[in-house]
Amino acid sequence: MTAAKIIINEIKGYHRFVKFLIVLVSLGALASLVRFVFGLGVTTNLNDTFPWGLWISFDVVTAVPLAAGAFTLGAIVHCFHIKKLEPLVRPAIVTGFLGYSLVCVGLLLDLGQPQRCWHTMVYWNPHSPMFEVSMCIAAYTTVLFLEFLSPVCEKFGYHVPLRLLRTIEMPLVIAAASISTLHQSSLGTFFLIAVDKLHSLWYNPLLPLLFWVSAMCAGISIIIVEATMSHKWMGQPDESELLETLAKILPWVITAYLTLKLFSLFALTEGPLFNRPGLVALFAVEMLGGVIAPLVMLMNGNVRENNRLRATAAWLVIAGVILNRFNVSMFGMEAPGTFYYPSFIESLVTVGIIAAHILFFVLIAKYFPIFEHHPETVDYSIPDNFHKTDKGPAVHGKVAGEA
Amino acid sequence: MSETNQDFNKSKAFLIDMTKCTGCRGCQVACKQWNQLDAEKTEFFNGEGYQNPPLMSEHTFTRIKFRDYEKNGQNEFAFYKEMCMHCNEPACASVCPVGAFKKTKEGPVVYDAKRCIGCRFCMVACPFGVPKYEWSKAFPLVRKCTGCYSRVKEGLKPACATTCVSAITYGDRGEMIKEANKRIATRPEKYLKKLYGAEEAGGTSVIYLTALPFDELGFKPVTKRPLPSYTWQALRLVPGIFLTVGSSLSLLSWFNHRKERIAKEEEQRKSGATPKEES
Repeated sequence: MTAAKIIINEIKGYHRFVKFLIVLVSLGALASLVRFVFGLGVTTNLNDTFPWGLWISFDVVTAVPLAAGAFTLGAIVHCFHIKKLEPLVRPAIVTGFLGYSLVCVGLLLDLGQPQRCWHTMVYWNPHSPMFEVSMCIAAYTTVLFLEFLSPVCEKFGYHVPLRLLRTIEMPLVIAAASISTLHQSSLGTFFLIAVDKLHSLWYNPLLPLLFWVSAMCAGISIIIVEATMSHKWMGQPDESELLETLAKILPWVITAYLTLKLFSLFALTEGPLFNRPGLVALFAVEMLGGVIAPLVMLMNGNVRENNRLRATAAWLVIAGVILNRFNVSMFGMEAPGTFYYPSFIESLVTVGIIAAHILFFVLIAKYFPIFEHHPETVDYSIPDNFHKTDKGPAVHGKVAGEA
Repeated sequence: MSETNQDFNKSKAFLIDMTKCTGCRGCQVACKQWNQLDAEKTEFFNGEGYQNPPLMSEHTFTRIKFRDYEKNGQNEFAFYKEMCMHCNEPACASVCPVGAFKKTKEGPVVYDAKRCIGCRFCMVACPFGVPKYEWSKAFPLVRKCTGCYSRVKEGLKPACATTCVSAITYGDRGEMIKEANKRIATRPEKYLKKLYGAEEAGGTSVIYLTALPFDELGFKPVTKRPLPSYTWQALRLVPGIFLTVGSSLSLLSWFNHRKERIAKEEEQRKSGATPKEES
């Protein structure tokens, strides 16, 4: 059998849902080709008064906090040393890596001159939040790629790179958390320049901090949802005990967010808050449905222990963060009387990007040891004084066991 | 970004006296000619009023906005010449990730098309809505009024200021503000007692005198604080935050891992000389 035939047979064996995802991704890819042939004006509903639309609002400003699970969990597990959560780290890293790779794709489609994207690396402008975010995204995608290499090396039994990756694991985790802190918050800094454009329900000088804290909420919630779903649909191991621990951490972060949000709203905001009923409604839905409701739910022990309710609360948080990012980057930015809605092709591309994320996640989980990772067998202490003699066999044993 | 500690009183500025504007749109034509901009197919009354073209665009860097109103029972026109304000501290220059915008010492804010990656952040940031995009192209760039830098550099006046017979004066910014205040003082009944551009966005190189209130003519209400300072107050913390987060997490994990290692070594010592741990 030729390689092509093997691949075709493999795809034929996939679940119908996966095939559907493949169709969506191909449609998205086709739609993005249309953008390069006919230009942004024809394919999108953007114009001079509303230059940033769905591709920035969702593919960049929303997708980045949704991929925040990797850095949040990495820091919780390795720096705060809550080691029992370790089995969740790998799925989070895969999600993060896919998320950021697709953010790059979305950004490149939205740029007028994508072939010049390297210019940000050459012509530095440290006063620009966009410069900072693009540098961070480039650095962080690299970090996530290196972290993602671990399961790949395990799969193919590459011992030497694996040991190298193990050695740089802690620096990578710390770099990931620091870089993420910078660019998650700087996405908020983007909108600080929109002084008289972004509505005062969202515009305040603490926007970067709020973006960072809400990104952590989104990251933790994504991990909960993802583990629940992959247990339910993909037959992966049940992690509910670990998710309970995460669900205990989550309300603290949400409370921090809520406090900051209320403080910034009442103490730091200038300008009228309730002058536009549509925006007030959006704001109310965001705060009540996406922040307060899940907070109340998660403070209840019964909810945290119940798989379904816990996942529902996590979904609410995710929906809240998504709505928040859309409110900041789209609805709140629209001048009174103007209205932007994404065109068919814009939507098709974004749907394709979401489908690609799910598709690649499913495929990677299928072929690489993402969920079968047994951290109990791995010694993660920092190698110092070259006390490494007792670690070698553990690594070898593990790899040999899986290979 | 602008060169720091620049004396903006010495850079060139436009003083545009809208009360002297006749709405001839010679400036629009001169601008198109000097910058070799394509004509736009337009028709009357396809915008808010008489103005034509209806909006600034990739092909139109300046336009005269018409406002009709009634004075002593008669219909009158008031005008607003819309163009790049050439801010002293431009938002576009501060947000551009590749530094494609630059405030020149002569005054104009210039755009380097060779650097631009087309991210449109300048369009989001500009409080006056000046930068426009080449929406029709597959690989679009940004277009905006150049302040006729190529002319100003050589000691000439910008094309629109050269053409305009009455309303536009061009010279050192300090002089222009002085002149504007003098005009208000000598004919107080004629002018609104405010300058637009003296303090807007931290000061711009285009100063307007009008008879009608600014918002009625279509001038945008803009903060008096330089826009780059809004983002810089967050961005200046970036290196500090990076180091703080990085070092505190490093310390934290070093302590936690050390605790664990010591516990493990203790355990090994107790359990005798078997170096291999079973877990």
